[in-house]
Amino acid sequence: MLKVNQLVSGYGTVQILNGVNMKVDKQSVVALLGGNGTGKSTILKAASGLIRSWKGTIEFNNEQIQNLPPHEIVARGLVQVTQGKDVFPAMSVTENLRLGGFILKTNQQLKDNLEKVFNYFPRLNERKDQLAATLSGGELQMLCIGRGLMSNPKMIMLDEPSAALAPQIVLDIFKNINRIRKDGLTVLVVEQNVRMALLLADYGYVIKDGVINVEGESKKLMYDESVKESYLGGTKANV
Amino acid sequence: MFEKFRLGKRGENIIFTIFILIYVAYCLNSPDMSFESFKTVLTIGLSVGIIYGLVALGISLIYTGLDVVNFSHGEFFMIGAFAGLTMFNILGNQDWIFNLFPEAYGWIIYVICLFTAFVSMGLFGVFIERIFLRPLTKKGGGYTVAGMGIIICGFGLSVVLINVAYLIWNPVAKPFPAELGLPMEIGGIFLPITYVWMIIVGLFVAGGLWVFLNKTKMGLGIRAVAFSKDVSNLVGINVPLYISIIFGIACAIAGIGGTLVGPTYQVVVFMGYIILMKAFAAAVVGGFGNLPGAIVGGFTVGIFETASSFYVSGSHKDLYAFLLMIIVLMIKPTGFFGVQVKMKA
Repeated sequence: MLKVNQLVSGYGTVQILNGVNMKVDKQSVVALLGGNGTGKSTILKAASGLIRSWKGTIEFNNEQIQNLPPHEIVARGLVQVTQGKDVFPAMSVTENLRLGGFILKTNQQLKDNLEKVFNYFPRLNERKDQLAATLSGGELQMLCIGRGLMSNPKMIMLDEPSAALAPQIVLDIFKNINRIRKDGLTVLVVEQNVRMALLLADYGYVIKDGVINVEGESKKLMYDESVKESYLGGTKANV
Repeated sequence: MFEKFRLGKRGENIIFTIFILIYVAYCLNSPDMSFESFKTVLTIGLSVGIIYGLVALGISLIYTGLDVVNFSHGEFFMIGAFAGLTMFNILGNQDWIFNLFPEAYGWIIYVICLFTAFVSMGLFGVFIERIFLRPLTKKGGGYTVAGMGIIICGFGLSVVLINVAYLIWNPVAKPFPAELGLPMEIGGIFLPITYVWMIIVGLFVAGGLWVFLNKTKMGLGIRAVAFSKDVSNLVGINVPLYISIIFGIACAIAGIGGTLVGPTYQVVVFMGYIILMKAFAAAVVGGFGNLPGAIVGGFTVGIFETASSFYVSGSHKDLYAFLLMIIVLMIKPTGFFGVQVKMKA
C-alpha cells in the first residue's frame, strides 16, 4: 500500500534520511523503530508532505505522492497522527474531531464518523463539549487518533502513540489500534516502546542513521540482538 | 552613572499618578460638563471606536493567521474608501436608481458602495497575499514570527500602495457626499446619520465575522490554521488557500471601515497611516491577536480619544490613543484580553 523507495530527505540543509526503503502491505500493521534522532518521524513527515522529499519516491496505492501538498495526501487516504499534544486546545473535543473530518463532503458522513470514533473511544463521548486543553494525556492521544480516523483514511501513520503515557493507558491505546486494524485499516506505527510495538505489528523496520538497518517479521525481531543494539543507538566502540 | 536616574517601581507609580491627576484636573476644568455633552462624546466615541476596532480586527486576524504584523493595513483601509467612493461616483449619476427608489436611493447606493468596498478589497487582499507576500515567504522565514522580512515588506507595501493611490486618485481630499438623511435623535442628542451607520454596520460586520468563524466550516478551518499550520495540514486543510482567505477577509473588513468613514471625513490618500497607528493602539489595548479584544480596544480608544479631545484639548487629538496605549501597557502588558502564548509542539 505504501512504498518508500530510496527516500532522501531532511530539514533545511541537514540531511536526515539517506535512502530509506520500506513497504507497508494492505491491512497490516508495520512498526518503525529506532532511537532518538534516527529519522523515524522524518519519514512520516515526508510521507504526509510536511517536508519535501529530496530524492526517491513515495508510492501510495500505486501512485507517487512525494511532494504533493499535504491536504491532497490526506484526501488520498493517508493520514498522519502526530504525537499526543498536537490538538487545538482552545476548541472543544467535537470541534477537534470535526476538523479531522474537514475533507468530508456531507454532514451525514461527518455524523457517521463521529459516531464511529465515539464507538472506538467512549471516553471522548463523555467529554465531547470540553475544551481539548482540559483533557488528560491519554485522552489527548485518543483524540488525536480519533481525529485521524475522522477522514475515512485507508492508512494511518501513528507517531509515538505511547509517548509520555502511563503503562495502563498505553495498553488501552494499543488495544484500540488493534481494533482499528481489524476493521480494515493499514497502520504504520512509529514507536520508542519496542516490545509493545512488536507485539502489535506484523512486520518491523529498525532505522539507524537514516537508513533501514534491520527488518523482518516482528516475532523474529523481538529476539534479535541487533535490534537491541541499533535501538540503543550509537556505534559500537572498536576495542 | 545611570544608576542614579533609575526610578524604581515606586517612582514610576508616583509619576504615573501625577500624569493621571493632571489629566483628570484638565478634564474637570473643561467648560462644558453637562450630561448631554457627555452622551454626545460617548456616542461619537463609540462610532469612531468601531472603525478603529474594524481595522484592529483585521490586524489581529492577520497576526493570528499569518503570524506577521501587517503594517500596510491602513492602506487597504484607504483604498477601500476609494473603492466605495468610485462606486458612489458611478452610481450617483444614475437617474434610474433615483426613479426606482425615490425614497431610499441614498442609502441603497451607500449599501452598494459598502458591498463594493468589501468585495473588491477582499479580492485585492487575496491578490496581494498571493502575488507579493507568498513568494517572499518561500525565500525564508515563512509566515512565522521569525519572518522579519515580511514586516519590513509591509512598510514597503504601504509606501507602494499610497503612491499607486496617489497616481490614480491624486492627493486632493475628495468629498463623499452620501445622501443618508438628516441627523437622528437618539436619547436626547442629535447624531449625524453617518455615525449611526458606522456603529450599526461596524457591529454587523464584527458580529458577522464572529458567526463566520464560530459557526461555519470555513471558519473552523481558519481558526485551525491560525493556531497551527502543521496540524491543519495533517487534517487536510489547504493551508495556503486559507492563509489567502484570512488576508482577504482582513482587508475586506478594512475596506468596509474606509467606506464607513468616507462620508464623515473626506477620502484622501494619506488617511491610512494615522488610522493604522490608532488601530494598532486599539489592538494592543484589547490584547494583540484577540478578536473580541480588538473591538473592545477600538471602543476604548475611540471613547478615550473623543472624551480627551472634548474635555482636555482638541488640538492634540491624535495623541490620546497612544497615551491610552502606554497607560494600558504599564498596567496590563497583555492588554484587556491578553491572548495566550501559542502552544507549539
